Amino acid sequence: MNAKTKQKINSFVLNFLALLFIIFIVGPLIWVAVASIQGESELLRKPQRVFPENPTLDNYNYVFTGKIPTTLEVKGQTIRSRISQEARLIPAALKNSFIVATAVMGINLLFGTLGAYTFSRLRFRGKIVTFNFFLGSRLIPVIAVAIPYYVIIQTMGLLDTYLSLILVYLALTLPFTIWFLTLYFNGIPEDFEDAALIDGCSRFQALVRVVLPIALPGLVAAAAFAFMTSYNEFLFARFLTQSIATHTGPVIIASIAGNPDASYTLISVAMTLGLIPPLILALVLRRWLTEGLSTSVTFR
Amino acid sequence: MSQQQMGATRRRASTYYMERIYPYISILPVALVIALFAIYPIIHAVRMSFYQYLLTRPNIHPFVGLGNFIDVITSYYFRNSIQVTAIYTIATVIGVIIYGLGVALLMNSGVRMSIPLKIVILLPWALPAVVSGLLWKWILNADFGILNGILYSIGLIDSYIPFLANPTTAKVALIMAHIWKEGPLVAIFFLAGLQLIPDELYEAARIDGGGGWRIFRHVTLPLLRPVFLVVIVYETMTAILTFDTIYVMTGGGPADATALISWFAYAEIFKSLNLGRGIALAIIIAMISLVLIILYLRVLRTEETAVQN
Repeated sequence: MNAKTKQKINSFVLNFLALLFIIFIVGPLIWVAVASIQGESELLRKPQRVFPENPTLDNYNYVFTGKIPTTLEVKGQTIRSRISQEARLIPAALKNSFIVATAVMGINLLFGTLGAYTFSRLRFRGKIVTFNFFLGSRLIPVIAVAIPYYVIIQTMGLLDTYLSLILVYLALTLPFTIWFLTLYFNGIPEDFEDAALIDGCSRFQALVRVVLPIALPGLVAAAAFAFMTSYNEFLFARFLTQSIATHTGPVIIASIAGNPDASYTLISVAMTLGLIPPLILALVLRRWLTEGLSTSVTFR
Repeated sequence: MSQQQMGATRRRASTYYMERIYPYISILPVALVIALFAIYPIIHAVRMSFYQYLLTRPNIHPFVGLGNFIDVITSYYFRNSIQVTAIYTIATVIGVIIYGLGVALLMNSGVRMSIPLKIVILLPWALPAVVSGLLWKWILNADFGILNGILYSIGLIDSYIPFLANPTTAKVALIMAHIWKEGPLVAIFFLAGLQLIPDELYEAARIDGGGGWRIFRHVTLPLLRPVFLVVIVYETMTAILTFDTIYVMTGGGPADATALISWFAYAEIFKSLNLGRGIALAIIIAMISLVLIILYLRVLRTEETAVQN
C-alpha cells in the first residue's frame, strides 16, 4: 500500500468518525423537533417513523392559540386534562426566562466589568482575600444553601418575583464573570490605558474608552455565559417561583413532562420551543463562546 | 498662595481621595450580592444541621448535636448513594475525557467533516440540563422511544426494552446523557490545549521517526497534562453535583440505582421534609468537594514546581 492510498483511507476514517459524532450530537435535537410535528397516534405507532408521514403544525397551533389538534382527539378524555393546558404556559414561561436572563446578563456586564477591571489593574488592601472569597462562594453545593436562600427571599418579601430569581442568579454568575473578565483584562497590555491616564483620564474613563472596545470578545462571551446559566437554571427556579407569573421555561417543561398522562407531542413542542433560544445563541456566538471557553483553561 | 494654586491643590487632594476609594466602590455591588448569598446561608445551614427540623413538625426544633450527621452516615441510603455517586463519577469522567479528546482530535485534524463538527459541538452544552435529560428519556422510552424503534426495525430486538426501568441500563443511560451534555465543553478544552502545541514539536517528532500513535503518546498527551487536570477536577465536581438530569430522567430510581448523593440530599429536604438531615448531608457533600479541590490544587502545585525545576 503506497503512502497516498494510506492517507486517503486515513482521511476517510476520520471523516466517517466525525460524521458519527455529528449524528450523535444532533440526532436527539432533530428527533424532538420531528416528534413535535407528528400526530399523537403516529408518534405512538410501533415502530415509529424517523420521518413523519403527515407533518403538522397543529401541536404548535394548540400551544399558541388553544385550538385542539385533531390528532389528539383519539386519546378521548385525556385531552381535557390539566396537562395539555399546562403546555399552553410554555410561551409565558419562556418569556419569564428571557426577562430574568437578560436582566442578569446586563447587570453582570455592568458590575462584572467594573469589578474585574479593578481586580486586574489596581492594588488595594484586601484584594486577594476578596477575590478568593468571590470564587470560593461558588464551591458551596447549591442544595446546601437552598433552604437559607428561600429564607432570605421570603424575608425580603420577594417570593414569586422576577427580582428573587435575578438576585439568586447574580450570586451564581457574578463570581465566574469576575474571574473570567479579570483573566481577560490581564491579557490586555496596559500601555494604551497608561497613555489615556497621562492625558488626564480617570480610571473609569480609561476603562470605558480604551479597555472595553478591546475587550469586546471577552465581554460577549461573559454575557452569553451569564445568560445561559440563568436561562437554564432549574433547582432555584423550581422553589422560588410559585405561579406562572414567574415560572421559568425549565420549571414548566419539567412539570409538563413529569405528568404521566402527558401528551407526548405537546411535550415535544414544549421542549423544542425551550431549546431554540440557547441553540440560536450557541450558533450565533459560536466563535466568541469557543474562544471564551478556551481562555478559561489556557490562561493562568 | 494664589487662589489658582489653592484650587489645584484641592483638586489634587480630591483626585487622590477618589483614587483611594475607587477600588472599593467598583467592587462593592458585586461584593454585596455575593456576601448576602454566601455568608448568611452558610451560617444558617451549619446551624440547621445541628437541629432537628422536620417540616411535618414545624414548631419543635430540638438541638441534636451531631445526630443528623450520624443518622445520615449510618443510613443504608448514604452507603448506596456514595457507591452510586462513585460509579457515576468515575464512569462519566472517563467517558467525557475519551469523548472530548476524540472530538478535539477530529476537530483539530482539519478533515472536511471537522467544520460541521465544530459548528454543532457546543449545542448540547448550551441546553438546559432539564431539556437534555428529557431528550434522552424520550429516546429511551419503553413505549415510543426512537432507539427502541430503530433497534426493532433493523431486527436487533424482538420487543421494546424498558431501558430506564432496569438498574443497570438506567445507570448507563444516565451516564450517556451526561456525556452527551458535558462532552462538548471538554472537547473545547482539549482543542484549546491542542492548539497551544507548536507545530514544530510534531515536525521534530516526525523527523525523529515517530509514528502517529507514538507522537500522540509521547508529545501530545504529556503536553495536554494541564488540561487533563482542569477537566478531571471540573468534571468530578459536575458529576457529584448532578441533579437536574436525574430529576427529569429517573427520579433516583429504579430501586435507588441512580440516587446520586445530591439527589439523596434533595429527597431528604423536599420529599422526607427532614431539613436538618438533608442539610447535614449537603454539608458532607461540600466537605467531599472541598477535599477534592484541595487535592487538585496540591497536584497542580507540584506539577508547576516540577515544570519550573
